[in-house]
Amino acid sequence: MTDRGLQVRLGKLKLKNPVLTASGTAGYGEELAEFFDLSKLGAMVMKGISLQPWQGNPAPRITETPCGMINSIGLQNVGLDVFLREKLPFVRQWDVPVIANILGTDANEYIRLAAELDEAGVEAIELNVSCPNIKKGGISFGRDINSFSRLVAAVRRKVKNAALIVKLTPDAPVDVFARAAGESGADAVSLINTIPALAIDINTRRPLIKNVIGGLSGPAVKPIAVRMVYQASRAVKIPVIGMGGISCGADAIEFMLAGATAVAVGSAIFRDPMAPLKVIEEIGAYMKGRGIKSVSGITGAMAGR
Amino acid sequence: MFGLNSRKDPFLKRPFCYFRKKRNTIDILYRVVGKVTTLMTGLRAGDTAEVMGPLGNCYPVEGVEGRKPIVLAGGVGIASVYPLLGALVGKAHLFYGGRTARDLLLTGELESLSSGLTLATEDGSAGFRGTAVDAVRAHLKGRDKRDFILYACGPNGMLKAASALGVDGYIASEEKMACGIGVCLGCAVRTPAGYKRACKDGPVFPIGEVLFD
Ligand SMILES: Cc1cc2nc3c(=O)[nH]c(=O)nc-3n(C[C@H](O)[C@H](O)[C@H](O)COP(=O)(O)OP(=O)(O)OC[C@H]3O[C@@H](n4cnc5c(N)ncnc54)[C@H](O)[C@@H]3O)c2cc1C
Ligand SMILES: Cc1cc2nc3c(=O)[nH]c(=O)nc-3n(C[C@H](O)[C@H](O)[C@H](O)COP(=O)(O)O)c2cc1C
Ligand code: FES
Repeated sequence: MTDRGLQVRLGKLKLKNPVLTASGTAGYGEELAEFFDLSKLGAMVMKGISLQPWQGNPAPRITETPCGMINSIGLQNVGLDVFLREKLPFVRQWDVPVIANILGTDANEYIRLAAELDEAGVEAIELNVSCPNIKKGGISFGRDINSFSRLVAAVRRKVKNAALIVKLTPDAPVDVFARAAGESGADAVSLINTIPALAIDINTRRPLIKNVIGGLSGPAVKPIAVRMVYQASRAVKIPVIGMGGISCGADAIEFMLAGATAVAVGSAIFRDPMAPLKVIEEIGAYMKGRGIKSVSGITGAMAGR
Repeated sequence: MFGLNSRKDPFLKRPFCYFRKKRNTIDILYRVVGKVTTLMTGLRAGDTAEVMGPLGNCYPVEGVEGRKPIVLAGGVGIASVYPLLGALVGKAHLFYGGRTARDLLLTGELESLSSGLTLATEDGSAGFRGTAVDAVRAHLKGRDKRDFILYACGPNGMLKAASALGVDGYIASEEKMACGIGVCLGCAVRTPAGYKRACKDGPVFPIGEVLFD
């Protein structure tokens, strides 16, 4: 296997390897850059951004659950202006494609965000229509097929250069929404976002997250995520980016066998900031051990169906 | 951040202070409260664990400037202020509180590291009866608060009460953490300038900067 064997394509976007960071688990790259060379990543997916800065939710925002965690950060972010002025120039120091994850409270906000980011030259835009942690917008698009399709199509018309990725919620039938995303002009779909979840402290009887319901991530969600990636990839021709509980190369391979073209490492970064690089190395070792020349040969190669 | 990383469960690392740092070892002083701390009690010499650190900031000692340092520790918060007592070269008065006498550790050693040691227990089984903050308040009575600088670490309720004492100084937040490096935004501390991250912007904040409910 050569390094070229790890290359994958998301529409017109070429990646040197199939491993991305998951939005919201790698900030804007500033902290991870203290741990490793960001240009080793297939792409850097940025923390979700909105037009205006958002405060986020009150603490406690996180709690560990068996083999995973629940979070309700509430999309705390610096807003589009600071993103363009400070955060984007920072990651531009590395030779790594930048994927901006965006979230709006209505269709106009999504369209404005996408247009300005496209103008600013990001390589891809990921539409987050699946965040369980904010009140308006977001997931309401992810659950209603008509407004979902209209939104994707409207954003598509504005985005000239960047690849358009639509991030699906596990809280709706993913095959139906993946198909609609493809038909509305998306270059790829990504899934899964966190799964709405609740944990309660039986001593205090209080929810362990101040906002009561948060989103579950980590190894606990992996089998569900793999199933959804399988269903989505069978429903569309565009590439699928798989995520949900990936913490090692074997996890990533499983997603690819189910149909993912690329994968993202999320909460596992919290446990180990080097996790994305380990996943890349371990995919390489798997391919080498089996004489697989190109990583795309693994995509959808689950046997026996 | 400390983790038993060969497993997917417990999933996240846990934040601990460097209690004592020697040339080749780090001591962690911990209270057994749940999953990870229970597993820690089963570790044997030669077992491996993953430690990432040091992370975050420290108590600034430059600002003392002729003021008398008061160090306030609640429960296992003592692990956080222990190195500070050394940095303040024995000049601090330590107020150390716990529920009962059994919760107060290393009192002999702590006495030698400070200019004065006041213990406080809620049940009165050792020292002052009441909270350590009550003990500080009694100590300050009739004195000019501007002559003191306060350093506090303990549960949120204690930090809130300590912040209301009217003494300048610093508190160390004990928010729950997922990553410890500033990427998850899980460890939010409310400040007048919006939420800050306890792990990266703290855990030590000037008194008055952290807003309590
Ligand atoms: C900056 C910082 C420094 C710390 N230093 C020390 C130290 O030196 N020694 C030490 O013993 N502890 C310290 N703690 C607290 C320690 O991190 C927790 O006790 C530990 O995470 C518990 O892990 P667990 O898996 O055993 O408990 P879990 O199974 O995760 O939780 C058990 C119970 O403890 C509660 N809990 C978990 N984390 C915290 C927390 N941070 N504060 C209050 N309650 C909590 C949970 O809500 C739950 O009720 C520190 C915390 C922070 C943020
Ligand atoms: C703390 C945290 C913050 C997140 N923030 C975002 C976000 O801003 N935008 C987004 O699309 N997804 C966000 N996610 C979802 C992740 O990108 C990912 O879809 C999910 O966590 C599943 O992957 P994992 O199990 O590997 O973490 C967040 C997840 C976590 C845990
Ligand atoms: S613990 Fe993740 S940002 Fe502080």
